[in-house]
Amino acid sequence: MTSVLQAIAILAVFTGTAFSVLGVLGFIRMPDVYTRLHATGKVSVFGVVLLLLAAVVLTPLGFSKGLVLIFMLVLGGPAASHSIASAAHAIGIPLERFTRDDLAAVQESAAISHATAENPLPPQA
Amino acid sequence: MTGALSFVLHAALAIHIVLVAVCVWRVWRGENVADRLIGADLVGTLILAVLVIVALIRSNALYIDVALGLAVLGFVSTIALAKYIADEQMF
Repeated sequence: MTSVLQAIAILAVFTGTAFSVLGVLGFIRMPDVYTRLHATGKVSVFGVVLLLLAAVVLTPLGFSKGLVLIFMLVLGGPAASHSIASAAHAIGIPLERFTRDDLAAVQESAAISHATAENPLPPQA
Repeated sequence: MTGALSFVLHAALAIHIVLVAVCVWRVWRGENVADRLIGADLVGTLILAVLVIVALIRSNALYIDVALGLAVLGFVSTIALAKYIADEQMF
């Protein structure tokens, strides 16, 4: 039984470390902010969660704490990535090699539909 | 703890410390503010991973408490800094 648990822990630690290495490699090699966010989201959701699965299996008394931390990471990681991407788009950081920018199109059509005589459209650059 | 598990844990600890160093270098030489914010968030996540590996090596659940606090503080600080660079005000 113990050897089975240790084998599960070794597999989880190995896979989690591989996810962390790949995430940091993507953070270095990807061309712009949004694709880098795609890579670094894997580190918090897969890398640390797999290490925590090993901790849940092996550590005495660490069971419920590990599960709470897994829940918190799975809930919080995508929200943090989304807020960073939204802030980067709001301050106008450019996209590399993109084909279409749906958020910019949505914001432009919303500005047109909300424009009135008292609140005209801003002049185009 | 058998030798294989100990070896894998120590190797994972060394790899994660190297990754933290790489991310700190990347935050230092970042391209723009969002890039540096991603790097800071990633450093927090990797230090979380280091704490979990230390909890596994010492087989002590106290380090997971520390990781829990660090996860909450890192999440709140990332959201607050992202709102700060988008709106130039935090609240």
